[in-house]
Amino acid sequence: MCAAVFGVGTVGAVAVTLQSPAIAQARQATAAEPFAVAVRRLTESQYRNIVADLFGADITMNARFEPEMREEGLQAIGAAQLSVTTSGFEQYFALANSVSAQVIDAKRREKLVGCQPADPKKVDEACTRAVVTRYGKGLFRRPLTEAEIATRLSIAAKGTAGVGDYYEGLRLALASLLMDPEFLFRVESAEPDPARRGQYRLDAYTKASRLSFLLWNSAPDAELLSVAEKGDIHKDAVLKAQVARMVASPKVRDGASAFFTDMLQFDHFDNLTKDAATYPKYSQKVADSAREQTLRTVLDLTVDQNRDYRDVFTSNETFINRALAAVYKVSYPSKDPWTKYTFPASSERSGILTQVTFLSLFSHPAASSPTKRGVKIHEIFMCEPTPEPPADVDFSKVQALDKGTVRVRLLDHMQNEGCASCHRRSDPPGLALERFDGLGQLRTLENGAPIDVSADFEGVKFTGATGLGKYLRDDKRIPACLVRNVYAYGVGKAPDERDEDYLDDQTKAFAKSGYRFKALLAGIASSAGFFKVEQPKGLGPANPPKAVATARLSQGGPQ
Amino acid sequence: MTFSRRSMMRGMVGGAAVCVGIPTLDMFLDVNGQTFADTGAKVPVRFGTYFWGLGLTDTPDGGSRWVPKTKGKGWEITPELESLKPVKDKVSVFSGFRVNGDGRPNAVHWSGHAAILSGVAPSRGGQMDAPSFDTQIADALGVGTRFRSIECSANGKTVSYSTRTGKSFATPEASPIALYTRLFGQGFQDPNSPNWSPDASIMLKQSVLSGVAEQRRALLARVGSTDRVKLDQYFTSLREMENQLDIQLQRPAKAEACLIPTRPDEKPRAHSVDVINANSKAMARLLAMGMACNQTKVFNFVHTPGQSETYIAGDSKIYHQYTHDEPTDPKLGYQPNSSKLAGLVMQAFGDFLVEMDSIKEGDGTLLDNMAVLAFSDTGYAKIHSLENIPMLIAGGAGGRHKGGYHIASAGEPVTRVSLTAQQLAGAPVGEFGAGAMKTSRPITEIMA
Amino acid sequence: MKRALMNTAPIAAVVMLLAPQAAHAAWTKTYVIEWIEHASYYGAKGGMIDPGTDCSKGTNPEPNWVQMLINAGYTKEEAEWIRNPANPERSAVSGNPKMAFRGKNRASVYKDPETYPDPGILEVDGDKAEGINLDGDATNGFINAITGEPGVDNKFYKALGCWKTFRGPKRMSSGAQTVNDPMREGSWTMVIVVRGEGNDPMNDDKVQVGVYQSGDPMIKTGDGKIVEDFTFTIQPHARNEGVFPARVKNGRITSTAPVDWMMRDPSPGAVRSGLEILKGQIDLTMQPDGSLKGYFGGYRPWAPVYFGWAGFGQVNEVLTWIDLPAAWYAMKRHADYAPTPGGEKTHISFALRVDAVPAFVRTPDAKQEIAEVRSYKAEAPATPPAAAPRPLAAATPAAR
Repeated sequence: MCAAVFGVGTVGAVAVTLQSPAIAQARQATAAEPFAVAVRRLTESQYRNIVADLFGADITMNARFEPEMREEGLQAIGAAQLSVTTSGFEQYFALANSVSAQVIDAKRREKLVGCQPADPKKVDEACTRAVVTRYGKGLFRRPLTEAEIATRLSIAAKGTAGVGDYYEGLRLALASLLMDPEFLFRVESAEPDPARRGQYRLDAYTKASRLSFLLWNSAPDAELLSVAEKGDIHKDAVLKAQVARMVASPKVRDGASAFFTDMLQFDHFDNLTKDAATYPKYSQKVADSAREQTLRTVLDLTVDQNRDYRDVFTSNETFINRALAAVYKVSYPSKDPWTKYTFPASSERSGILTQVTFLSLFSHPAASSPTKRGVKIHEIFMCEPTPEPPADVDFSKVQALDKGTVRVRLLDHMQNEGCASCHRRSDPPGLALERFDGLGQLRTLENGAPIDVSADFEGVKFTGATGLGKYLRDDKRIPACLVRNVYAYGVGKAPDERDEDYLDDQTKAFAKSGYRFKALLAGIASSAGFFKVEQPKGLGPANPPKAVATARLSQGGPQ
Repeated sequence: MTFSRRSMMRGMVGGAAVCVGIPTLDMFLDVNGQTFADTGAKVPVRFGTYFWGLGLTDTPDGGSRWVPKTKGKGWEITPELESLKPVKDKVSVFSGFRVNGDGRPNAVHWSGHAAILSGVAPSRGGQMDAPSFDTQIADALGVGTRFRSIECSANGKTVSYSTRTGKSFATPEASPIALYTRLFGQGFQDPNSPNWSPDASIMLKQSVLSGVAEQRRALLARVGSTDRVKLDQYFTSLREMENQLDIQLQRPAKAEACLIPTRPDEKPRAHSVDVINANSKAMARLLAMGMACNQTKVFNFVHTPGQSETYIAGDSKIYHQYTHDEPTDPKLGYQPNSSKLAGLVMQAFGDFLVEMDSIKEGDGTLLDNMAVLAFSDTGYAKIHSLENIPMLIAGGAGGRHKGGYHIASAGEPVTRVSLTAQQLAGAPVGEFGAGAMKTSRPITEIMA
Repeated sequence: MKRALMNTAPIAAVVMLLAPQAAHAAWTKTYVIEWIEHASYYGAKGGMIDPGTDCSKGTNPEPNWVQMLINAGYTKEEAEWIRNPANPERSAVSGNPKMAFRGKNRASVYKDPETYPDPGILEVDGDKAEGINLDGDATNGFINAITGEPGVDNKFYKALGCWKTFRGPKRMSSGAQTVNDPMREGSWTMVIVVRGEGNDPMNDDKVQVGVYQSGDPMIKTGDGKIVEDFTFTIQPHARNEGVFPARVKNGRITSTAPVDWMMRDPSPGAVRSGLEILKGQIDLTMQPDGSLKGYFGGYRPWAPVYFGWAGFGQVNEVLTWIDLPAAWYAMKRHADYAPTPGGEKTHISFALRVDAVPAFVRTPDAKQEIAEVRSYKAEAPATPPAAAPRPLAAATPAAR
């Protein structure tokens, strides 16, 4: 059944997957009107990118955005759960006032406003209309309705009348656009499909936004909006041409950057701390640099060099700066702030799992944690979450050890059946990384005892970080997980069993491309499955809202 | 200046923003909005939650490092509650209360406080299946102050358990400087300043929001129920922003205890317990002054999160790990390092209350006009126990709380304590919780 | 294209350098100086200013400023007015410039100290010191406080070692903190390169030690220490550089011949343009934890020391508790070296205590790790202008 749905070659003509017959009937009774399939809060980087795209990269945005929420492995899925709390609203409000003030300030006014009022002290509706229409379209990712424009004209007119300044009125109108839920949230809409009676498709602007947020992490540009406006985006050939154009654009780096930032869970950097006495080399600078290193490495391999995605587990090519060189205990070979760098074999470093990012994020403040690292390898790269430790585990058998290596300590864990079932799975890959301490520095001893980095994982034996990297590079779950993540990231929803065949097909295509990330982006962005319509529950006039559904993935349990 | 605020309100805000009222509000307040209808007690009673992670130490043989032996009035200081000594008579201790999950699994380091706050054991970790009750108290008490509630996190992480939707959690101020900026930075109006005039720029700010609220109905009609919850939260936040701006246009009432504090220094971020406790104390002082200056009446304070990563500086092991892997010392009969950390963590709560108690208000102190519900995520942390979760109510609640009691229960639901706290805060709530956790019985023994 | 070339070249170099070094019959160890201070031996059991075996009467006390001015010929009223904070001439920042005019006929003691009689200062009266035996004569000088060896030449310490600018436990004197704080915050950097021709870095008769400037700032750790293993490129300087012939015995690196050299003056209050050291020697020991600790010693000109302090005379006097001409007379009294045989003793023996941590040091173009000790003066840009002197203790809250 699913194959039938996704097998159809035409775009946009995908059947609505209804939740229940009862709702289906209810829907049909009132059909033929658009509805929202999903409402997702803009991420911080999307907000920033849109403002920069529209008003220029020199607009400063000093604000504390509300935290994202990770669900089913991705913040992009969590975003569909998030709203704007009181303190978040205050932040957006301050930002709207600040951004709008910058747009109309003396140095940008001429360039950004584009028209001049007949009298700078009086209302000029034509100019206001032009500005509101132009930026409204960019912010809302669709043309404004006449009512939406009229509201802003009124705000501008009253503001101008109040203070006797045309531009202040205009500023208030722009701020109002920036506070609008249709800007702050991505409201994705479906409409009746003219080609298929009783069925729905995503409307043209929603499709355009899905493309641009996936590929560019920003709002559609003028060309894409115009393709949407004409309705051509529903045509397969036009869609494919747009996808090809967008993947070839340098902005695809922004899209890839946002995706990997999400998938690799860089948000953990926000809360990262290390004990200064144990890891004196750790600093905020090191944390920021590590994050940038990993991102540069991944983008260089997957986007700039267009190499096999799986090389991220084995490549010793990377980028470092002076601060990272100190942590890696290598001499920094450049006078530039950053330099391309190839780790020598003796460093035992290859692949992003051996970088400070992964090694320090998934450790304790003052010690490494093979369990945390193992759990995250499964979760991030194989899409295999580890269940929370059961609440009734008998910890009384677990003994503290201040000497020897963590391997010995964990073996002790293994005698405890309550722990062993998960630790057998999580610990081996983590133990292979044990020659890197909780900050990611190479070491050979722990408490004076030599560290054994042999691993026996899923019946395969390998040694150390290099062995682990090679093992992962050849593991079938690795590309399948990436495909699943790109898709889930793009549609903002965790795939379920109905998506399995689709994901299998995409994974095969990915393999056929030689595991090229850009090919994967293009494949998913131009597939019918990417625009599948699913009707949300509880559509229709407001029922009393209740808190429902799934929640954030909680942090790992005890090791 | 040709702007009149009245014309702005009438002409631009229109009906839409105003009609998005708070239904519960009307039940709570009499006509002039100054008094609680049910109790007649004079505002300001302040309410807050105080959370710390990893519970307190019990022992494998059923003993405890924190539960007092004395029941009823006049509990004796126990090792892990040592820090409460200076304010002991203003604190009631609740032991033996538990979370009954109705068969739902224990989401470790989560189910405990989720149940205390929402009244029901959550179906999964990281979410609550009902709003946290502090939000309802904030809706009632929070009128007339600039902020409906203030969230603080003393551990540097952005952790808050306050939620209206069960999924979007409030963003706390995570450092003394952030808290200072929020309370006393831009938009702060000194209630005691002799020169007050409404700020014209606030009226302009109000106008920005006027168009937004009007779309509410149309937008909500297009979305599914899950999305409606989210958008409702957005519109609630919008309304609060409007309320904040309204408040700023009114002359603030005088507040005799209000002294504007100095800006705190930027502190390095660290999770060691000494740093967290220092932050916690600095934030307690700011929060106390924020309340004395009428900026808020409700707060939610997180000392350390559920799975606390705090540690003693220089020690390679974190508290959470100690609770699980430290053997019980055969001579002492408990986990020595875990218990030491528990005492250190509770030191922050003692300090917190002392800060509140140091501000004079009328014949008493700020603490006398507060009800603070303090609790943790777990009982005996070694086994993630949901039994004997430590809970405390501090402060005189404007005379409603007798204080100084130890209430020992044999496994009754934690919601009884939550309900008691809500009633002490003055909320006309008769019933709290769901399923096995549902209760309509507050603990009257401690109520005056 | 250009960028690609620039990026790949150094990588190849690094890979080569990381190859096993056993093949070369030579070794290099490189460090960054993370603390440098006058080698003052503190002889008290605790505290910061307590009497001890070094200064039996304790640290030089705060002068009675009013009495000092009265002694210089002011009336009590005039003296009190000069010191009065209400006096508009007295600046909160730079003090009252009138303080200068204490010399004969109201001459400025900051310009001409000998217009003022020697007010005296507590001098070191103990027999122990830190530093180097510069003249090879064991019969004069202090006993080495660490090793017990006789003959340590450190007359600067003898003269000024009880002044709180220099006195205190290691790394605790106000002068040392004033100087090291900005250095550790990245204002300037000095690196040490030790290069031996033998096979054993712990025992090698043919060693060269280079002391260079670097333009790369030091970085502090989360708990305020200087991070090891950072990379520094040598910044060639037209004057400030030292290259010492030396030997290593059991990890202790000592000069085999004295060297005249210059360095950025690390003395508190000094003119920063450069310190000229005559007959300089080193005595540095490689520590088990990888760090390097020891001394730079030699003879320095003493008059510029005085004029450095005198540049902000009234501030320095008040903050560091000294009747400044006392320092002039003390140094003059103990000066022990004349560059011209039989000439005036313009120089005084002294020693600097140096703590350095392992660091990577690279050639000025950053292309290679340093593998030789030589002069880079020829590669230096034109001599940078001299920096102005600054208040002695302005950056040291402890001194206020």
